[in-house]
Amino acid sequence: MSPAAPGGSVLVLRDLHKSFGATAIIRGVDLEVKRGQRHGLIGPNGAGKSTLFNLISGHYVPSAGEIFLNDHPIAGLTPHAINRRGLSRSFQITNLFPRMSVAENLRISVMGRHHHRFTLFRPVSRLTRVAEEVDEYLEKLRLTRRRDDPAGALAYSEQRTLEIGMALATDPEILLLDEPTGGMSREESAYTVALIRTVTEGKTLLVVEHDMNVVFTLCDQLSVLVYGEIIASGRPETVRANREVQQAYLGEEVA
Amino acid sequence: MSRSGRTGLLALVAILLVLPLPLTPNLVNAAIKMMIAGLFALSFSLAMGQAGMLSFGHSAYYGLGAFATLHLMKAVEGHLVAWPTPLLPLAGAAVGLFFGLVFGWLATQRTGVYFAMVTLALAELLFTLAPTWNSVFGGESGISTMRMNSWAIDFATDTGVYYLTLAWVALSTWCLWAFTRTPMGRLALAVRENEHRVRFLGFNTHGARTVIFAISTMFTGVAGALLAIANEATNYTIFSAQASANVVLQTFIGGAGTFFGPALGAAIMTFFARVTSDLTRSWLLYQGLVFVLVMLFVPDGIGGLISLHARRLRATAVRHLTLPYLLCLVVGLLLLAGVVFTVESVHVVLSDAYAVLRRGNGGALVPYTLFGRKFDPVSPWTWAIPVGSIAAGAALLPLARRLTRRGWSQALLETTA
Repeated sequence: MSPAAPGGSVLVLRDLHKSFGATAIIRGVDLEVKRGQRHGLIGPNGAGKSTLFNLISGHYVPSAGEIFLNDHPIAGLTPHAINRRGLSRSFQITNLFPRMSVAENLRISVMGRHHHRFTLFRPVSRLTRVAEEVDEYLEKLRLTRRRDDPAGALAYSEQRTLEIGMALATDPEILLLDEPTGGMSREESAYTVALIRTVTEGKTLLVVEHDMNVVFTLCDQLSVLVYGEIIASGRPETVRANREVQQAYLGEEVA
Repeated sequence: MSRSGRTGLLALVAILLVLPLPLTPNLVNAAIKMMIAGLFALSFSLAMGQAGMLSFGHSAYYGLGAFATLHLMKAVEGHLVAWPTPLLPLAGAAVGLFFGLVFGWLATQRTGVYFAMVTLALAELLFTLAPTWNSVFGGESGISTMRMNSWAIDFATDTGVYYLTLAWVALSTWCLWAFTRTPMGRLALAVRENEHRVRFLGFNTHGARTVIFAISTMFTGVAGALLAIANEATNYTIFSAQASANVVLQTFIGGAGTFFGPALGAAIMTFFARVTSDLTRSWLLYQGLVFVLVMLFVPDGIGGLISLHARRLRATAVRHLTLPYLLCLVVGLLLLAGVVFTVESVHVVLSDAYAVLRRGNGGALVPYTLFGRKFDPVSPWTWAIPVGSIAAGAALLPLARRLTRRGWSQALLETTA
């Protein structure tokens, strides 16, 4: 198969479909995320945003259609293979190693990238490069003082930060964030958005988010998913002005 | 490891080094079996405790390691190969690793209950296959051979075998402990905690689980090899589901959440089985009782209990607990006496020998013999013994609990002060 995705795009979805039994959840999605873009994906509940993330990250296999990561087809690959090709994701529901320390959570992420996946003949304490990098991430994520606490003991917003940090620490070319500020108070949300902006500097992002404020501060490109189809895509202010989008999703909130 | 932990470990090694000197041959043999059981449990708990893979079929690798070693020993005996006796466990390790990779690759396709069922099925397969496969497993009677002396070491007595076992168990334990410090060992923990997430961080978790399982079975193979060397024989029953279940029980009694706990549990339960199986036919009942009581009241196992004291209390503060624990011991012994008396009495009264005795006396409930004394089954005085001792134990129980609680708070206070 010769990949025909246009240059400059990190991630391209072509006519992607996913059905569970007779129920079609994703009904022909085309999407392009260009290098360096911060792409927001919005849509009402049940539009298929999470399913789309699960398809891209390899959790589900598409029923039809194609996914290209850096011009290479990745549809149907396993999650770890997709991650090694440079795509990492965070989860909507916090998904950590709760009984391991914060530093160890990050270390697992960093370890893999340094090819210490199955290393057996060296203690982990001697992996100085890995340790340094873990410290850097702890600093960036402002979690240094909690480094030795079990991840399960962190406050909710700290867990969310760690969640994003772990996805980031595999150093992906494109990072998928699934509702990074979901369930947070306004202050926590603002703090987290600012943090995401700094830690993902220069990275390509695809973000699912419910909070419009977050989307408009964080993203420079916006796509609207409704009932498994992208109904609009473009600059946030253009999409916001789109009447169809207003009717389908934004409703009175923006109008 | 903490300094006190290291001191304790060195002391243990020192004790183990001189242990055979004062022991009778029978006890030296018991010590060998305890060490082997300890290694088996440690290797099992690498898969179970570290990586969360509850295998119900570890007897497969234990048995395969034993059979492989016996075949090598036979080859040495028949002068087909020259292989030094001290290096025989390498055969067990190789076979354990190989079958761990093959069977592990299959079993680790699934997790949880399904994984447990696949491992159980694979072990049962061997259990059924072995008695009919004469050339490999020696049929129902199994295979037996002789240990050869090598490297100027005398392996004719158990003392030589003891030191061989000690060396291999110590080396393997060190390897298993070192594993927990490697990137792979940390990954094992992450897989146990949240396999789903590990996958999205770029790790092939099926591969990881296969390798972890195979490392576990490799050391199980070493344990099997040591058993083969000690017994100079084995048969298909080594593959039985009971053998697999035993190591699971021992690991939980010892404490699956700690590193050394499983070895401790296995050693204690092996000794327990050896002693009680000579004394009573109800020993399996007692073993089950121990397991149920530990799971109910000390779910973290013996190892968990020890590490709780070591973690929370300063060594000098433990003296506050001496008296309460002595009282707990008294309560335990009283309850135990009542239970044992009842169980053993019932056992005697329901036995065939007693039925014959009754028939000879026209069906009357004649006195029965227990612990070398006569008891009258219809006399209230007989039943006052268990009832009285259980009642006394039960009456002292609240006091023991209260004193223990007070002792703990005093000890904690002194530790934090």
